[in-house]
Amino acid sequence: MTGTDQSSFLGRISIRRNQVNAMEGYHEQEIEDLELFQKQLSDRFAELLSAPDDGPTEAFLSISWIRKLVDVFLCCETECKAILLMERDAAQISKPPLDRLIPELLERVVKAMDICNAVTNGLELVRHCQKLAEIAVSALEQKPFGEGQARRAKKALVSLMSAMHVDDKESSVQKTAERSWSFGRRSGNKDRHHGHYRSLSWQVAKHWSASKQIHAMTMNLAAPRGPEASCLPAPVYILSLIIVFVMWVLIAAIPCQERSGLTTHLPINKHVNWTHSLASIHDKIGEEWKKKEKKGMAGLLYEMQKMEKLGQSLIEFTDSYQFPGEKEKLDEVAAQVAELAEVCRRMDEGLVPLQMLIREAFHRLVRNRTEFLDVLEQGGPVV
Amino acid sequence: MDGCRSGVPTYEGDLHVVAAAHHIVKALGATKNLSDDLRKILIDLDSHLSMITSNIDSKGGRGLVDVEERLDQAERKIMRWETDPMMIWDSGPKEASDYLEAVDETGKLVDGLRGLSVHENRKQKEILHRAMNIFQTAMSRLEEELIHILVRHGQQFEPKNMYSRSIRKDIVYDESFVSVEDEPTKETSSQNCSNDESGECIVDLVHADVIPDIKSIAKVMFTSNYGPEFCEAFISVQKEALEQYFSFLGTEYLSIEDVLKMEWTCLSSKMNKWTWSMKIIVRVYLASEKQLCDQVLGGLGSVSSYCFLEISKATILCLLNFGEAVAMGPHRPEKLLRLLDMYETLADLLRDIDTLFSEEAGSFIQLQFHELLERLGESAIAAFKAFRVAISSNGSLYPFAGGGVHPLNKYVMNYIRMFPEYWNTLNLLLKNQHPGVADQVTKPDYGPDTSLLTSCPMAYHLRSITSCLESNLHKKSQLYKDEALQHIFLMNNIHYLVQKVKGSELRLFFGDEWIRKHNAMFQQHAMNYERATWSSVVSFLKDNNPGSSSMSKSTFKERCKGFSIAFEEVYKTQTSWSIPDPQLREDLRISTSLKVVLAYRTFLGRNLAYTDDKCVKHTVEHVENSLLDLFGGSSRSLRNSRRW
Repeated sequence: MTGTDQSSFLGRISIRRNQVNAMEGYHEQEIEDLELFQKQLSDRFAELLSAPDDGPTEAFLSISWIRKLVDVFLCCETECKAILLMERDAAQISKPPLDRLIPELLERVVKAMDICNAVTNGLELVRHCQKLAEIAVSALEQKPFGEGQARRAKKALVSLMSAMHVDDKESSVQKTAERSWSFGRRSGNKDRHHGHYRSLSWQVAKHWSASKQIHAMTMNLAAPRGPEASCLPAPVYILSLIIVFVMWVLIAAIPCQERSGLTTHLPINKHVNWTHSLASIHDKIGEEWKKKEKKGMAGLLYEMQKMEKLGQSLIEFTDSYQFPGEKEKLDEVAAQVAELAEVCRRMDEGLVPLQMLIREAFHRLVRNRTEFLDVLEQGGPVV
Repeated sequence: MDGCRSGVPTYEGDLHVVAAAHHIVKALGATKNLSDDLRKILIDLDSHLSMITSNIDSKGGRGLVDVEERLDQAERKIMRWETDPMMIWDSGPKEASDYLEAVDETGKLVDGLRGLSVHENRKQKEILHRAMNIFQTAMSRLEEELIHILVRHGQQFEPKNMYSRSIRKDIVYDESFVSVEDEPTKETSSQNCSNDESGECIVDLVHADVIPDIKSIAKVMFTSNYGPEFCEAFISVQKEALEQYFSFLGTEYLSIEDVLKMEWTCLSSKMNKWTWSMKIIVRVYLASEKQLCDQVLGGLGSVSSYCFLEISKATILCLLNFGEAVAMGPHRPEKLLRLLDMYETLADLLRDIDTLFSEEAGSFIQLQFHELLERLGESAIAAFKAFRVAISSNGSLYPFAGGGVHPLNKYVMNYIRMFPEYWNTLNLLLKNQHPGVADQVTKPDYGPDTSLLTSCPMAYHLRSITSCLESNLHKKSQLYKDEALQHIFLMNNIHYLVQKVKGSELRLFFGDEWIRKHNAMFQQHAMNYERATWSSVVSFLKDNNPGSSSMSKSTFKERCKGFSIAFEEVYKTQTSWSIPDPQLREDLRISTSLKVVLAYRTFLGRNLAYTDDKCVKHTVEHVENSLLDLFGGSSRSLRNSRRW
């Protein structure tokens, strides 16, 4: 999925459309374009599926994996739009069933924009976790190591755990919105200061719910059948499905407002070739979600999962630590600390670019919608 | 600093050397403008040397005992607060400085003990760990004190002191274009102009008195490598304070979907609020936050700008998202002015944003602002186009009763009267936009001495808009069956147009030539009206044989009757017509009077012989007075109201 792949694909469509002005053979060419596009999709998702579950680089659901997924999304979006809009006029995309399908697509696009923003907020929480983990790492790496450092690490880790297990329900957001600073140890609560990340800006809007958005986006999302499967309704379905799928993965991976009841079912048409890998990715994440949902967690993001596991284990260590500690235990902990440091490093490298990439996806969705509306309203072809 | 680790000196000479070195280090440490690294080294060296000194002083074995004593003392000072329900910084400056001293002492002991050889005895290690433990307690406490100070001394400021709600001479013009059949909204020129709009106002988000306290905590925490803890606590409190302020301004969190579905009046007030909040948040709040960060964290490299970015990012993005949602919404004409407000606000704030987020990490925010500005500009142009389309396509099925000023005309003219306020922005945005087909119509053939204003892009577009409006009004005039009423309608409407232009800054953009032309136009319609209505009526009074002195009685009777019927007919219809402008109404009555009354008087004068006859139904005075009833807007009849 390199840039050249894409540009050659777009070039192909453009040249094709220009050459084949006459109607004969037009439809066949379109079918061919569509097949080529689906083949590419299939390859891209197969590549995503092939990511290892665990490992130093590009693990399944890791930050770099998600970045790849969003990249795939951006490519698909461009190509799908090309198939749908390039050299076409309003008449072609405003007749049934497209007069229904396109507005539905655009509604999904709007919902996806809000999800992008929710996820951007969620990434702030992930970054906050990263900062806390970094404090823990630096405390645990101190030489000589003593109880003071153990307490320092524990404090950061406890904050980390509580930030991770932030309840994404709205009620809790509102509760903490009322100032929680009157606290303190003075009122008996010694370890208060964590949890204050559940702030207002976490919200997209009052009563907004990520899982409801996904649910609404899947409504009326059905694979075209019969002759429709090979003409314009097909790319509309593909684009819709990919938008819903990618947004669903983002919500499952990254904490965001109100995810309870997130569906694990997406209407993926498994009878066509290109969806095989996508369906497998979906099943895999769906399973994982079902397993973890009950616990109330920070999301399936690989680095967060890793951080949670390591964090828990290190809290146990700091809890029971007594100077000077056993050599064996200390070595084991050193390995865990190194692992946590590595997770922090990857977050440090990847989170800001991911945030920017999601913002780019947001802008892309905005432009995409405008282009569709322009074609529909002005009736002119996209140049 | 391995050289310092050479254990404990044993003779006097060493003592002097160490003392001298210590002295020099202290002097160097007092220098301002040291780099952070260098300062850190000096502090390390300082604690190291004091450790050596204490060891020398104690002559070998006594050293550790001494250190332990010092630690005991510091520990007492630190630990006593752990059971005290009071906050240290609330208890007084003495307590705070005592505490900081104890923390400083503990830190020195930790550093010194650490610096000593690791081969030292077990006792020494024990003391080190105890010291580190105490130190951790203190750091944790400082973090708590920091949060407490920030919260307790955080200050909210009243936005009213900063900017009044409506900075420009504002008009509540929230009417949607669809409701054009109604009267336009009242104009409330709430010109309670406030501070100079460009004036920087920075407030103390945290009371100025406690800034030194916060700084001292920052200093201790950063030199002890507890900087990350300081940052997280600082960011958390300040971020929440900003969010609270955001709610305090009444700004809501809205999803894009919500904004797109919002009704116009609601959206309009939200857009207004956005403009206002954006200014306050960026120019006052964030500028003040930036200052706070710099005051507290200045001199710590990029820490200040990192904290500032983390504090402000989420709120900024939320504001930007509303802007994005507005820009992507349907381009309705009524949105134009609000969009221009938003555009101007943003354009105005760009410089502030670029300064606030000048660091590399902030370039993301900068970029988002620039993108939104572009998007709002596009959206404003689209709304502008939609405005013109709406004017041309505003159709009516029925003629507008009475021939008065059409609501479309009122709406459009009152709306564009606002445009000069946005002159610069509109010129910028419209520079590359062609007015389209109407262009030919509006190209002014002014002389070389025309002002720049009449030839700027906005002027072209304004004239293009009014010419759209004029052609639509012409279309609407065709709906009247009565030719005279067509002229009354056009006269009224063009007169209104001219009045609106003349009575506002619009005249600068339309130019004198345009005004002259349009004055002539409505006068022409007035004349056409007179001809269409009165020629036939007055024709009864015309003398067919100017040579002969008088006509026959029967002819006179017939003419009289004809005139009366025609006059009554005109009276009946035209009393229901309306000329809303009193001056225009007066002028037209006078000129009609001149024509009709004069003709009637001459007619009766010529035929004095028959005037006592019953056939003269109306006296000259009656006719003159009746003419005053025309164009009053309610139908009357001469036959029914006969008290002549």
